Formats: sequence, structure tokens, C-alpha cells
Amino acid sequence: MAGLSLQHIWKKYPNGYVAVKDFNLEIADKEFIIFVGPSGCGKSTTLRMVAGLEDISEGTLKIGDRVVNDVESKDRDIAMVFQNYALYPHMTIYDNMAFALKLKNTPKDEIDKAVREAARILELEKVLDRRPSQLSGGQRQRVAMGRAIVRNPQVFLMDEPLSNLDAKLRVQMRAEIAKLHDRLGATIIYVTHDQTEAMTLGTRIVVMKDGIMQQVDSPTNLYNKPNNLFVAGFIGSPQMNFFEADFDGANLVASGVKFEIPAEKASVLKEKGYTGKKVVAGVRPENVYDSSKEALCKLTAPFSAKVTVFELLGSEVQLYFDFAGASMSAKVGQDSRAAVGDTVSFAFDEDKIHVFDKETEQAIVH
Amino acid sequence: MKSQNERRRTFLCISIPILLLFFGFNTLPLIKGFIYSFTNFRGYGSYDWVGWRNYVDLFTDSRVGNSYWFTFKLAIVATILINVVSLIMALALNAKIKFKSFFRGVYFIPNILGALVVGYIFSYIFTYILPAITHAASMLADRNWAWVAIVIVCAWQSVAMSTLIYISGLQTVPEDVYEAASLDGATGWKLFRHITFPLIMPFVTINTVLCMKNSLMVFDQIMALTKGGPAQSTESISFLIYNNGMNGGQFGFQSANAVIFFIVIVVISVLQLKFLNKREEQL
Repeated sequence: MAGLSLQHIWKKYPNGYVAVKDFNLEIADKEFIIFVGPSGCGKSTTLRMVAGLEDISEGTLKIGDRVVNDVESKDRDIAMVFQNYALYPHMTIYDNMAFALKLKNTPKDEIDKAVREAARILELEKVLDRRPSQLSGGQRQRVAMGRAIVRNPQVFLMDEPLSNLDAKLRVQMRAEIAKLHDRLGATIIYVTHDQTEAMTLGTRIVVMKDGIMQQVDSPTNLYNKPNNLFVAGFIGSPQMNFFEADFDGANLVASGVKFEIPAEKASVLKEKGYTGKKVVAGVRPENVYDSSKEALCKLTAPFSAKVTVFELLGSEVQLYFDFAGASMSAKVGQDSRAAVGDTVSFAFDEDKIHVFDKETEQAIVH
Repeated sequence: MKSQNERRRTFLCISIPILLLFFGFNTLPLIKGFIYSFTNFRGYGSYDWVGWRNYVDLFTDSRVGNSYWFTFKLAIVATILINVVSLIMALALNAKIKFKSFFRGVYFIPNILGALVVGYIFSYIFTYILPAITHAASMLADRNWAWVAIVIVCAWQSVAMSTLIYISGLQTVPEDVYEAASLDGATGWKLFRHITFPLIMPFVTINTVLCMKNSLMVFDQIMALTKGGPAQSTESISFLIYNNGMNGGQFGFQSANAVIFFIVIVVISVLQLKFLNKREEQL
């Protein structure tokens, strides 16, 4: 296995479109790194540049200590799992997994050993003589993984490998991939637009938007300390609530309600000259409280809002309401008696209010 | 109930005229030809029943034997040539090249020209232009080379349609399968041999069967280029059936030839389909 180094990577197409802008990332050996972002953000393009399926317009890509910009895909010692699996339909599962080794003229007994070992890990032993068309989606996905494992590459690349599976199977395979990473100790780059996959699998997550890297951090830090409004909104489901507020030197004021914030946060805002200015406040739905949810934290002043949507999610209830010109949501207790149309009193966890600059959209204080 | 009757009436109004036309111009001549094959009909005048004699004679007639030999030689060589050339052309025209659509259009032109027109153009080339360049006699006048000239003309014209079929075949192979193969180490010839060719096998089947059938029925090119000569060396089965059946007073005999030829083409096509289908894989 090996680490990777992506230094000032750019992808520019002949029509002038820039898909990836100045991408810099050091990936450590055995790291499970996730590229996440909305469609068209450049995450797959970056992965494909690592794979050698797209040319790198500018910058340097190293796998281990070797610069591989001009090295062909087959010589980069990487394996890739594709979104549609890209299995060879005319070959048996055994041949699909053995193909790369056969092309390398690996001795037959070694190929057999590697294929059977991968099949054992992935529980594919009984389907080795079948064709891909005879397998279920989950099995095909495992074959695609097996094809990668057999090659024992330095780096595994996975391009939305679970997006074609149903929800239940996706959860199951997510756990399988996590186990596989532990077992193989592999360096994995994993592309997804599903933030749950990103949060549960990655040791670090790269959030991208419009070809620009927004933040690289651990899942916990991304969730608790997002760099900007985009990351704050993208990570977390339902997304963070945002509303505009005025900073009066000690509190955030919105729709006539004064929200106290901790003194440390207020002093940071003051130091940075936000007194008397508009900022964007952000609160995650689980940090919004109503009377049904016991608060073990310090709450802000309560405010009233009319419930527009009531969603019972089993263990909890999701309430939607409008406040300060924004649509907001709150994760409240199962016992909530609120109904659509009711006016409910809500409050925020004072410590969990994030503040962002209205113009630059960058985080000021968490 | 009423609407069902109306649908039935519409169905009959549309299908009966077509059935009548098909029977009149296809089935009836087929049956009449089959009947004539048991007679000594010369194309005019009276005739007698001769039973299976025409069929027996077919197997002893050296001119018929030669025409079968020539036709099969031409069909096999042309089928291989057309498929190899069109596959190479399709690979080139499916690659990321400039003016791809323009080239695809240009290479399809031979298909929209009539076989006789193409035949006469090539006749001119083989008779006047090539001998002027090579200072040799025309290929068409040489009994050892005339068949090659016909193969060239057949291939030149048929490559267009085969290329088109192969291009559509190549486009059915998902891009990510190629990408996966390239990561696995398959490039160039290995990629073609292990991935591309097996995945376009259904299109190889179509092209092989169509080329073989068309080549076995070669007629127009011979009419335009050699008229079966020199010394009957390029006499195809279709040409012999037409020539001797219509002009040579052998209508009955050549009808028997046509019946046998029909059976031969059906058998070959079915065998080809069975053999090639085994090698096909569904994506």
C-alpha cells in the first residue's frame, strides 16, 4: 500500500470548462479518504485523474514516491470499483477476477489462490462459474470489489460503488467495505454524493464544490466545525438551519428575538469587527429544542413559530417551521404533541450556534 | 363489440392486399419454379415431366459444379475480407478523431450507389486505368484474376453497411468496461481480443450471415464486369441460373438449380447462426 500526493492539480477541458481547481491533498498510507460533494463538483474527475482515465492539465500526482502524471493506468498499480461495476459480461466471475492477473502472466496456481481467497472474503465462492448477468446487484458489487482485491494494488479507487444498490443493501455493503478496509489495511479513495457514506466510512473527508476543495477534515470536525456555509449545509441530514441575524456586541438578534451566545463567541465576533453587522447564524436541527425534549444544555431565549410539517421518524419527530424568513427544522422528542398549524415555542442550544460571514460565507466562530 | 369488428375489418383491409401481392409476386413464382424444376421446359413452347432427372443432372454438370466452386470461393473470401476491413474501419471511425461524422458519411456512399453503376465504374478502372498504370493486361481478361476483381468490387461496396453495423456494435460496449479493462492492463490488441471482439460478437454474426448470403447471390457485379467470363471462370450460380435459364433454353434445369441453391443458402445461414450464436454474449 502507499500514500498519495496531489499537488496543485487542475483539470481544464478544451472547451474552457475547469472541472478541478488547484486541488491539494496528502493522503497517508492506509487512509480511507472520501471525496464528497454535489453532482458536477469535480470529485469523480479528480478520482479519474488519479486512475489515469483523465489527463491532468496541471499539477503533480504522486503515488508513493513516484510521479505518475504520465504513467498509463495499468502501470499505476491501482484498482478501481466503478459505479456500474463495469464487469466483463462475457466472462465468468472467476475470469472477471482473474483477468488482470492473467494479463500480467501470473502463474495459474497463484491466480487461482488469489481469486479463491478474494471470493472467500466476499462470499462469492458459490458463484465463481456464473456470469455477471446471473448475479444480483449486491453480488455484482462484491465481484467488482473482488476484482480490485485480487490485484492487491497500492491504492483502491471507488467511484460511487453503492449508488446502484437499494437502501438496505447499501447499508449492508457499507459495513462490508468498512470491514474490508480494516482487514486489507488498504489506502482507499472513495467518491460519493451520499454524506452518510462519507461520514460513516471516511477517516478524512474532502468536501468539494464547483471544482474547489471546500474542507478536508475528519467526519467529526466537518460536522462540528464546518469551514463555510456550503460545508455546514452539505454535511448533516436534515441540513443545518440558517437565518440572518444582527450582532449587537453580545447577542444575535433575529426577528426581534435576542439569542444569547457564549461570551467567548461574542468576543471573537467583536474582535473581528462584526458588531452592528449582519451575520448568518447556523443551528443543527438536533440543537433546536421544544418542550418535549429535555435540555441538558444552556438554551437561548425561546421564540414561537408555527409548525408547517410534522414527520414522525420512529424514535424522534421532525418539525418544520418558518422563522426569520427561513424554513427551519427541529429534531424533537417522540412525545412531541405539536401538530401542523400549532404555534410552538422553540429554543436553540446556545453553545451550538455557528456564525458565518454573510458576504464571504466563511465560518467566523463555532 | 362493434369496435372489435371494425378493428378486424381494418386488419383485413390492410393485410389481404399485401398477402395477395406477396403471393402473386413471390410465393406463386416460387411454386411455379419448383414445378418447372421437374420439367424440361425451355422457357417457351411445350414441355414434359422429367421427374428428378434435372436434380440428378445438376450433380454431374461440370458448368454447374464450376459455378458453385466460383461462388463459394468468392463468398468465403469476400465475407472474410469485408468483415476484417469493415471492423478495422469501424474501430477507426469510432475512435476519438476529428470530422468523425463527415468520414462516416463519406464511407457510406458506396452503399447508396447501385451495384451495376459501381460495377461499370470498376470495369472502366480495371480495363483502362489499372492496365495503364501496371502495363499489364486487364484483370478482367485473366481467368485466374477476374474473380479477384469481383471480390474487390463486392467488398468495396459491402464494407459500407458492415462498417455501419460494426460502429453501432462498438457503441453498445459501455465505456466503463473499457476503462476497467485498461486499468486491468488490457490495451491495444489485448483490449480488442479479450474485450471488444467478444462483446460485439452479435454484430459479427449479423455481418457474417448477411455478407455470406449477399456474396452467394452475387449477380450485378458479374453482369457489369465480366458477364461470367473469361471462359466462364466467373460464372456465379445466380448468373448461371439467369443466363442459361432465360437465354440458354434450360428453364427447367436451372429452376432445379435455383431450388437447390435456395436450400443451400438456407442451410448455410442457419448453420452460421447456430455456430456464431454460441459465441455470442449478452451485455
